[in-house]
Amino acid sequence: MNGLLAWRDEAASGAVNMAADELLAAEAVRHDRPLVRIYGWQEPTVSLGGFQRLGDAQAFPGIAGLPIVRRPSGGGAIIHGSDVTYAVAVPRSHAWGGDPQVLYDAFHEALVEVLRKQGITASLHPGRGRDAGDEDRFLCFDRRARGDLVVRTADSADDHKILGSAQRRLQAAVLQHGSLLEQSSRAVTEDARHPGLHDLLASAGWGSTANDLVDPWLLRVAAAAGLRLEWTGESFLATHRPEITAAAPRFLSQAWLGRR
Amino acid sequence: MAAELKFAKTHEWIRPEAGGLATVGISAYAVEALTDLVFMQLPNVGRKVKAGESIGEIESVKAVSDFYTPVSGEVVEVNTSLPNELETLGKDPFGAGWLVRIRPDDPAEMDGLLDATAYEALVKSQPH
Repeated sequence: MNGLLAWRDEAASGAVNMAADELLAAEAVRHDRPLVRIYGWQEPTVSLGGFQRLGDAQAFPGIAGLPIVRRPSGGGAIIHGSDVTYAVAVPRSHAWGGDPQVLYDAFHEALVEVLRKQGITASLHPGRGRDAGDEDRFLCFDRRARGDLVVRTADSADDHKILGSAQRRLQAAVLQHGSLLEQSSRAVTEDARHPGLHDLLASAGWGSTANDLVDPWLLRVAAAAGLRLEWTGESFLATHRPEITAAAPRFLSQAWLGRR
Repeated sequence: MAAELKFAKTHEWIRPEAGGLATVGISAYAVEALTDLVFMQLPNVGRKVKAGESIGEIESVKAVSDFYTPVSGEVVEVNTSLPNELETLGKDPFGAGWLVRIRPDDPAEMDGLLDATAYEALVKSQPH
């Protein structure tokens, strides 16, 4: 049985991370199996959705001064640095490669289950329709789409989104990016901050971190699909350094960053 | 689906037109799978393309997808109103929702594409 092959990588720049994820998609096709990469960012960085306007980022004062990278995937902008980021790449022929919602739900439902076992009330948002104007909101965590993972705490009437994901659907593979918020970013102003797991749950005695959740989360993702989780024990960045180094400059180019 | 349409495995359709041109669009199945379209980028007129090459991108809620030309040739016309009226894709994917017109280098290249019956079988075999 082909398992879900996983790498846990060291923090890297936005361009290196995007180049690595592009390669991850190609490798998923080559290996004909789903691959997942868990990673961080070497400095607080804004990643834009594939078609967000660069001008909108530059006009958003709350994120001024942060490096910006454009993802190949869709969705809204994410402020990285106090989150755990994942990229999963799946061949289009795989059961996760058809209906886009299937892959979102595979990762989000698994985390709901892991959180519930820790006594946290988590659920998937039902979506709120186009009238809510979510696509006009710049930041991913200000948007609510069907399947976004939200948690509710005892001292808040509001749901808080803590995991959002987006996809790039290529000819032979699907690349899905996701961000699990650990803490509200201190690199941005108040209007660009969103509470993460630590902010929401530490006062209630929750002593874990987003990083602690990764292993049970991916185990659950794999098990729900009848797959075995296989950690490579290696760094995807290190083992594919020449290809990633060669591809990274494209993600720094004006042609890519300023494409819209 | 009209009998004169041919399909690529990547869910684009192509229809021969008078004057050696061919119209390209996205199948109803593919449009339905995308859901809630928000943005589209089409190629420039005059662009030379090769079969299987990405000629544009479309964003639905949270997902960016490429679409591909089924044949090699030159883009001679683009449905410029479509990006501003994306709902047309869902309402009339085989008509007003066309994407581009291409002058194929070799019209016989269309013979290698799927007919409607074969395409329907492909759709039924897709993972859900």
